[in-house]
Amino acid sequence: MTPGLIVRRLLALLRSRRLDSELEDEMRAHLELAERDAMASGLSPTEARRAARQAFGSIERIREDHRDKRSVRWMETFVKDLRYGLLLLRRDPGFAFVAIAVMAIGIGANTAMFSLMDAALLKPLPFPEPERIVRVLEAPTPTRRNGLSTLNFEDWKRLSKSFEALAGLRGLSATLTGHGDPVRFDGVLVSADYFEVFGVKAALGRTFRPGEDQPGAGRVVVLSHAAWQTKFGGDPGILNRDIVLDGESHQVIGIVPRGSFGRDEATFWKPLVFAPDQRTRDYHWFGGVGRLRRGVTLEQARQELNALSAGLAPLQPEWKKDWRAGVDPFVDGLVNDSLRQSIFVTFGAVMMVLLIAAANIANLMLAKGVTRRQEMAIRAALGASRGRLVAQVLIESLILCLLGGAAGVALAYWLITAAVPLLSISLPQTAAVTLDGRVLAFAVVASVAVAMLVGTLPSLQLSSGRLTSVLNLATRGGSSSREGVRRTIVVAEVAVSLVLICGAVLMFKSLLKLQGVDAGVRLDRVITTSIDLPFLAYPDAERASRFIAEVAERVRAIPGVESAAVSTDVPLQGVRQGQGITVPGVTESQGTRFKRIDPNYFATLDIPVLVGRGFTDHDRVGAPRVAIVNETLARSLATKFKLSDPAQVVGRIVKTGNPMYENRGQSGAVTDIEIIGMIRNERVNDLEAPTPDVLYVPLLQSPRREIKLIVRTANEPTASMPSIREAVRQVDSSLPLGDVRTMEQVKRLNMSAKTEPAWIIGIFAAIAVLLAALGLYGVLSHAVNQRRREIGIRMALGAGAGDVLSYIMKNAAWMVLLGLAIGVAGALALTRVMRTLLFEVSAMDPLAFAVAAFAMTIVGLVAALVPASRASRVDPVKALRSEG
Amino acid sequence: MSNPKTEVPYGTLDLVILKTLDTMGAMHGYSMARRIEQVAGNLLRLSQGSIYPALIRLEQQRWIRTQWGISETNRRVKIYSLTAAGARQLRVEVENWERATALVNRFLEAKS
Repeated sequence: MTPGLIVRRLLALLRSRRLDSELEDEMRAHLELAERDAMASGLSPTEARRAARQAFGSIERIREDHRDKRSVRWMETFVKDLRYGLLLLRRDPGFAFVAIAVMAIGIGANTAMFSLMDAALLKPLPFPEPERIVRVLEAPTPTRRNGLSTLNFEDWKRLSKSFEALAGLRGLSATLTGHGDPVRFDGVLVSADYFEVFGVKAALGRTFRPGEDQPGAGRVVVLSHAAWQTKFGGDPGILNRDIVLDGESHQVIGIVPRGSFGRDEATFWKPLVFAPDQRTRDYHWFGGVGRLRRGVTLEQARQELNALSAGLAPLQPEWKKDWRAGVDPFVDGLVNDSLRQSIFVTFGAVMMVLLIAAANIANLMLAKGVTRRQEMAIRAALGASRGRLVAQVLIESLILCLLGGAAGVALAYWLITAAVPLLSISLPQTAAVTLDGRVLAFAVVASVAVAMLVGTLPSLQLSSGRLTSVLNLATRGGSSSREGVRRTIVVAEVAVSLVLICGAVLMFKSLLKLQGVDAGVRLDRVITTSIDLPFLAYPDAERASRFIAEVAERVRAIPGVESAAVSTDVPLQGVRQGQGITVPGVTESQGTRFKRIDPNYFATLDIPVLVGRGFTDHDRVGAPRVAIVNETLARSLATKFKLSDPAQVVGRIVKTGNPMYENRGQSGAVTDIEIIGMIRNERVNDLEAPTPDVLYVPLLQSPRREIKLIVRTANEPTASMPSIREAVRQVDSSLPLGDVRTMEQVKRLNMSAKTEPAWIIGIFAAIAVLLAALGLYGVLSHAVNQRRREIGIRMALGAGAGDVLSYIMKNAAWMVLLGLAIGVAGALALTRVMRTLLFEVSAMDPLAFAVAAFAMTIVGLVAALVPASRASRVDPVKALRSEG
Repeated sequence: MSNPKTEVPYGTLDLVILKTLDTMGAMHGYSMARRIEQVAGNLLRLSQGSIYPALIRLEQQRWIRTQWGISETNRRVKIYSLTAAGARQLRVEVENWERATALVNRFLEAKS
């Protein structure tokens, strides 16, 4: 068949009615002419008519043949079934509404979840040949990773042949001025070939040229599309404009296309320039990304860099002679195992919701099928093949599911716009969650799959043998096998719902445990914010120290402020810097997190000093170096010092580097430092992992440009924010504050990776339970309607309302209990996959299972109560009379 | 059964219709059926109506075209005529037919 012919045949399908009527006209004319000729040859009118008909042949067969020849037969019946299906839906809008709504929930949840999973895990990174992009870091051991030191990076870059481009990068929080109030503008310092690594080209202007990251090159920046739009109003003349970052004027040389790094965020890129005094090997202060040359494998690149590192070993400081290079797929750094796990588990949960939704629709269709059986039986008796009837049922379910799917996509769109911004902090930066073609394709495939699943059950009931027997039954005849199928479906729904509730209860229990973990710091009435001092205005430690002291003093003077502290890091948000410390006589150094705090830090956050003293204003530049350890570090050092009591490390002297002010790529001189105190552990990273070794040093002895302000107030802390802003402004009016968060918000943020999946699974478990209850309700109330007569007879024979009630309830309880038994078995098997998501809760926690089973039972019995009480109110006289 | 009639040989109704239109020019369905019966004499058993499904197919193939006309009984009827593509198709089909009969004839005439 030529394409043209196919098109004409499909068109014939649409013009079916007209072609039919044209044929009728032609046949009528034909018969008239034949009659006329026959009469002319001497036949009577009656004889002539008969002769004409006889010569013509069977009109009905010609009609059929005409339709067959002119178009595609199955398409024609398909269109007919489609019309019929739509008609049926219009006739029963209540059924249509419920089925479509149930389907919309199932498909909506799945589509939204799929788009999230697609963006975070499945879709390739938005760069050309993303598999060639790698992350390059230093590796103290084959599995650990550390930041890069300038000289090692430069040597690797110069000597290696594996990379097409290799770039360093480091985050930067700058102050943007010149547009009203100064604002914070987060960007990245990058080597000139950074954009080559990602294969990103400028949409406007250009990206960096080679050499633009060398000392003395002009100050230039590249903006993201979002930054151009939001910070500079999409100014078309942006390339002729200079912008002021940290008090220095920068020329905007280019804008990269929207979405070129995935999710479009307002950011800028500025050359990462190595100053002469940053060219060291012992200070690790930036990360690296590279693009492998075509044909070079990850393993080859790894081996090459490791060989290079081994060769460079003699140049390294003693303590890192064994360090090698770490080359890992770029994507590994974006998605960690716990995120992957959460997404898989959540996706599994919404798949179960979809299954339950499908079961519900199948159930509804079966219930409806009872009323349709007669129609089907008649059609079968008139010669419709079983295949035709099955096709019709399938098409009906297809209509329902596609309509439901369309509504589901709308729901998914709403979910994505409403919920994803809340989740995006947990997603990789490149993940742009959108309803794109892939997601729509998923929605269509899922809808069709459900339609097939849903349509199969009712169509299995259409075995022709059984159908003919229907004709003999009275209208009342609900067959027990159909009832059996519906009960099985309800049992399955209860079982799957139970698995979901178990999962949700486990997550919430784990969340409660996590919530209950003592952070080791005061959480209420404490507010935090950050300040980044620009290097231009604060070029040395002295000026920074003066600023810090002055701000702290002014904030403390604000009425309602109880205490104020300055530090480099806020509890629960990690400690940016690490340092090794050495104990005399022990060669192996002790890794620590290196946190710089002012004298008020412990008091503000209610962290008790267990042994020794805290810092004072006298611990400043020029005074002997002092440090405080947390309990974990005290224990680690006690082992090194061979002391029995960790408290005894107080008073000991260790050695560690003193980082210079500003990241000048140097650890600073390694000097003696005295441990003057031990504090109770505070949670520096998160609530789950054990607290790492932390070394606290006076901020005033080792100042830093990026600082946090931690303020404890007498009342609601956010109320003090305006005065705090004002206090900072009075010291330096050009400094914007960073994100403002109360400690409670910090804690919530910290737990979000656990909270979000718990809520998502919880919500879906609730939906699943409601759907299962709906299924139970449907089956029971149908059964009650079908058995009015039976119930009537029972009552006439002396059964009381209570007997009937308990009869129906027993019926329901049986289904629920069977579902629970299967569900518990399923849950035992399935909740194991969430083990890594749980915190101090066993995946087989008996209490959680009991709570879940109890909740399911209650909901199930409530759903059963309505039809049961209706049954108990059946009037025997009426029931018996109505269906004589 | 006094005179044995045969059905239209499979696949040849198209050829018969095309040839009829080629010889007779434009005509409507009834006169086409009559003409085919006439030519076939008593040899053919044709349900007259069966030409209509064949006609719609030929039309979809663009081998014949239709116009609306008025019948002798004053009814609207479709008048069919051959298209250029139809004339080409007729030549092809005639050739095929001749080749097929020639082949079969050889077998029939072959001596042992």
